[in-house]
Amino acid sequence: MTEQFKPYANEADVIRIGDLEIENGVDRVTLTGDIVLTKDKAGLALARELQALVEKVTKALEDDKALPEVVEVKEARAVKNPFA
Amino acid sequence: MLRSTCFALPLALLACLGASLALPAGAATQCPQHFAAGSAPVVANPKLQSRTQEVCFEAFAVLHSGISRTPLYSAEHLTRANLEAAQDLSRKDSFHPELSLPAQDRAELKDYARSGYDRGHMSPNADFATRSAQAESFSLANMVPQVHANNAGIWAGIEGATRQLALKEGELYVASGPAFIGSDIKQIGRVLVPTHVWKVLYSPRQQRAGAYVVTNDETREYSTLSVADLEKMVGIQLLPGLPQKVRDAGMELPRPVSPHDRKGKAKKGQGGQGAQPAEEEFTLKDFSRNILDAIGRAIKH
Repeated sequence: MTEQFKPYANEADVIRIGDLEIENGVDRVTLTGDIVLTKDKAGLALARELQALVEKVTKALEDDKALPEVVEVKEARAVKNPFA
Repeated sequence: MLRSTCFALPLALLACLGASLALPAGAATQCPQHFAAGSAPVVANPKLQSRTQEVCFEAFAVLHSGISRTPLYSAEHLTRANLEAAQDLSRKDSFHPELSLPAQDRAELKDYARSGYDRGHMSPNADFATRSAQAESFSLANMVPQVHANNAGIWAGIEGATRQLALKEGELYVASGPAFIGSDIKQIGRVLVPTHVWKVLYSPRQQRAGAYVVTNDETREYSTLSVADLEKMVGIQLLPGLPQKVRDAGMELPRPVSPHDRKGKAKKGQGGQGAQPAEEEFTLKDFSRNILDAIGRAIKH
């Protein structure tokens, strides 16, 4: 599953490792939920998937020569409430 | 829908009156199965009505606004059988624009990009029993811009509590959506950011209904209110098929569940150690009265 996941490549991808939900974004990869790494073969398989994911994220960040200190977020604008 | 023409003859008129009384109170809908009593919500605030379109999905229905480019509500019928049958979540999903909506009215992925906001599900994917229904829940027609800590925190807790209650009650009708309150609203891309999100629950077994509301920020506080009060707050009659006394009475709602028991299913074999009571995590605070008072004052001006 993690093989096809390209960190920061798009705004669409969602993958799951255990109950951890991983959302792709062009400016962030978000991990939400939890993951239990049981001391068994299933736990090892999940741990390897998680490791593969984190390695890909780390590599993508390391390879970005223009990596900023802090990512820039487009500020929300204030508009008049069209429903009020 | 079958509709007969009424003639101004006394007998036919009586028959017509009878027929009109029997008509459902809800708005026209292509998918009544997702709504309590088969009645779709009725938009009461005319400003909310413009550029709206119903989108029917396999397991939920939304009324989408081309002004906010969000749903105004997303409605679903949760049953114990479906929740118990729910397969594990698909390992891969995809956020996508809703191509059945006009291009100028729908949200695109780029509206949310680099905004810092989550794409917050209104009907959550974990509620659904089939892969296809789960996949459809990633339509942007089912999303609002939501603060991440809210989406992953108290809102996920309310979703979990709702699933647990549906398992206990056997079934629930649920609708969830945004509220846009105040003179100014934030906008990301072309999408409006709600000031609040709410979820209304109706239990046919109890014949009671009530709602949660939270501010769209990092809050750990939530408020509960009657359907009638929520309807005033959002400008939509959410459960038009229910008797007024049910809409007025409110309902005892469970506390949002802790992050360790979100699935609304039986605990996985983790022993008693992780079983910290959730009571302290999220707190009930009645701020809905303040919002309603503010809306009341705004209407008088």
